[in-house]
Amino acid sequence: MWQYVLRKLLWNIPVYLGILLVVMLALRVNDPVWVRLGKNATQEDYDRERKDLGLDEPFLKQYGKLLWGFDLERQSWDKPGRSVGKELSQAVWPSLWIALPAFVLTTLVALGIALVAAFRRGHALDRWLMAGAVVGMSISYVVYIILGQYFGAYKLKEWTGAEIFAIQGYDTKRAFWWVHFCALPVLINVALAIGYDSRFYRAVVVEEATRDHVRTARAKGLGERRVWLRHVLRNALIPVITHVMITLPFLVAGEILVEVFFNIPGMGRTLITAILGKDFPMVQGFTAVFAAIFIITNILTDVLYALVDPRVRLS
Amino acid sequence: MRIALVILACASLGLAQEKVLRLPIRSDGPKTLDPVRGSTQYEAQVCEQIYETLFQYSYLAETPRLEPLLLEDMPKQQGLVYRFKLKKGVRFHDDPCFPGGKGREVVAKDVFYSWKRMADDDNSPRSWWLYEETIKGFDAYRAAQNKAATFDYDAPVEGLRILNDHEFEVELNMPVYRFFYVLSMFQTAIVPREAAEKYGETFSSHAVGTGPFLLRREEDWQRTKGIVLHRNPNYRDDRFPEGGGDVRHEAAGKRIPFADRIDVTFFSKDQPMWLEWKAGNLDFVQVPAENFEEAYTKRKRTLRKEWEEQGVRSNPVPLLDFIWHCGFNMEDPVVGGYTEEKKALRQAISYAINLDQINDSFYNGINTVYDGMISPGLDGYPPDGHSPAGHRGLDLEKARALLAKAGYPEGKGLPPLEYWTQSGANGPEQTEAVQRDLAAIGVQLKTRLIDFSQLSEAVHEKRAQMFSYAWGSDYPDGENNLALFFGPNGAPGSNCFNYKNAAYDELYRQIRTMSPSPERTELYAKMRDMVLEDCPFVGSMARIRFYLNRPRLKHLRPSETYFNWFKYLDIDPDGK
Repeated sequence: MWQYVLRKLLWNIPVYLGILLVVMLALRVNDPVWVRLGKNATQEDYDRERKDLGLDEPFLKQYGKLLWGFDLERQSWDKPGRSVGKELSQAVWPSLWIALPAFVLTTLVALGIALVAAFRRGHALDRWLMAGAVVGMSISYVVYIILGQYFGAYKLKEWTGAEIFAIQGYDTKRAFWWVHFCALPVLINVALAIGYDSRFYRAVVVEEATRDHVRTARAKGLGERRVWLRHVLRNALIPVITHVMITLPFLVAGEILVEVFFNIPGMGRTLITAILGKDFPMVQGFTAVFAAIFIITNILTDVLYALVDPRVRLS
Repeated sequence: MRIALVILACASLGLAQEKVLRLPIRSDGPKTLDPVRGSTQYEAQVCEQIYETLFQYSYLAETPRLEPLLLEDMPKQQGLVYRFKLKKGVRFHDDPCFPGGKGREVVAKDVFYSWKRMADDDNSPRSWWLYEETIKGFDAYRAAQNKAATFDYDAPVEGLRILNDHEFEVELNMPVYRFFYVLSMFQTAIVPREAAEKYGETFSSHAVGTGPFLLRREEDWQRTKGIVLHRNPNYRDDRFPEGGGDVRHEAAGKRIPFADRIDVTFFSKDQPMWLEWKAGNLDFVQVPAENFEEAYTKRKRTLRKEWEEQGVRSNPVPLLDFIWHCGFNMEDPVVGGYTEEKKALRQAISYAINLDQINDSFYNGINTVYDGMISPGLDGYPPDGHSPAGHRGLDLEKARALLAKAGYPEGKGLPPLEYWTQSGANGPEQTEAVQRDLAAIGVQLKTRLIDFSQLSEAVHEKRAQMFSYAWGSDYPDGENNLALFFGPNGAPGSNCFNYKNAAYDELYRQIRTMSPSPERTELYAKMRDMVLEDCPFVGSMARIRFYLNRPRLKHLRPSETYFNWFKYLDIDPDGK
């Protein structure tokens, strides 16, 4: 297995370098210098800034420099004196405090809904649950956020007189800070994801439940509980694991919209601020970290397959 | 019993509740707190609480008027030499960069050091243009020091002379009136050399100034989230102004600042800011365009009754804007040029665009539409916004006649014109409105909807044939806007129209040296009309920002020309 992991890692090195190359190219499609300089800038200011930022060098040299001297100690262009690593390490926690509970809650609730719907397949309950899921999927993320913020925080305070959920903000020093600042964004994320996830999980479970070996198990007189636990759910785990593992890197990346609207200083907000501010070191640093996590998660997913399903062999 | 006694003692000692101002900034906040690296109004909003300049704007004056801030009085002038006298007893914030951590007194050499930082390319200065060609020998000093192995801050500059610890002289190349405005801008604020040298790159986030508020710890500034500023306990004895009118202001003579702490929250989206305001968590707010009708009646633009009943007060602030919906690259072979035909083409386009309609449709009709480039409220602004030299629409008959005069009757023979504009906000819809207006006279537009960086690049490289853009004045003087048409400022400089007119340039050189006077205003109007006749842009518009404040916030007179007015704001603890 370790050989497999090592080989996959080596294969992914060119992929990783390719990702960095594409991001560097994409960033340089538009010249960031005039915008960074603001008004009243002269050609002399422009030339100096380009030189200071290292953008006057040939592209391949810039790429080589990124690869050769790449470390997270590089200074952010927009935050002089602040390293990319420091910024990212500070931003990752607020993102995790929202994304992780949202992920766990969404997975558990969606799996629960999927199982109920699959178990009652074809019945009214199944149809109602899936209709609800389709409606939930069809609503835009922004609508969830705007309505959530308005009713979940602002109106709730008006109705109850107590500020249970904050309209925006993030302060870990406050009592019950997680409930106050994070619970509402978490609930919004759950509401957004639950429709898609429950439909997906239901489809997986239903597919497994209708396979021949399940029918055979029932024909052999196996109890319904054992059929579901040993033959349906166990085999349904592979697509579920794939879905869960693919989601994992995005937990670190944070949610741009929810972090922007709720003023949460997480990875999503840090990234969008860096992109809008043309802060190349930040964007490149973020991409490098995210791409690495994504590749590692993919390899881990393959390993998990083998652990869950004896038919899968890593070779 | 003991607790009761402690409470009683506190009460009798007057230990009042901490006064906290809760204010919003409508962006991700400043990128730096180093004055020479900053340039945006978001940086000004924070830096002007921490740092101080030689001059400030008078808080209670009806029109912008400068007064001394770190100076004892206004400088004395002898020809091109100005003699400045610093106030005594002004101290920097306490900081470990000083011996014993105690902030020392500000002296004359701090002023020159702070100005010289703008000349040092290693500081990535953003606003050298403020000093350029102004102080005798300063440009030469900058060139020489940036070429030298190390930048020598102690090397002399011909026009900067220290007389003693509190007095210094500045000799200018020529009388430049804007110099005083420049010395009220946060980019020229006074910083201590000890801090700039000790903190180096991190001076951007480790601010040490003389202002009424200070940044206690770097962690108090959470990028993109907010910043907490505390009252400077060593702030000198400064008082609320008396005001010039017959009625003495209720706070006149009281010691400032009033607030113990300012909690600033950065909002990159308007909805959370608006909800926080409605929930009573902010002391003032700028009314977002999409919420305008929630607060004001559309027709009369008066505050709605329910808000008035809550004691909310409305403060409209006219901005020094010059927004044009269609700028022409005067070097372009089709829309540029100065012949009668070329002028007629641009004038035809101007007559065909309905700015009032755009104002109503996209800005709730609250913007000011006017002729020229000089913003409302400044010398040179045309009476009622109308100039006889203007070609403002909508007048389709004139537009068609001029188009025919230009050699394109009903637009025949005129190739589609390239119109570069921003894709954000309601850019596409506004572009459609312009497109529709011009189609009415037979002018076709090929639109290029792009992001701001691409637009900026295209304009600087003279690639944009027609473009929509905007300018916010750096200081309240029409000269700042007239500079946008000064030939030597052509792209990539601020003259993005690449307008060239020798007679205009001559007048600009003249007004640059003049102080406010009826003669200068007359020249401003003459220059404005010269440009309007040549029609290098279709405009103009200026925004009015509406601030709302709750009754608990006292003495608010917001301005966006300067931001050091937070020190005048007080909180009524019993107010809502």
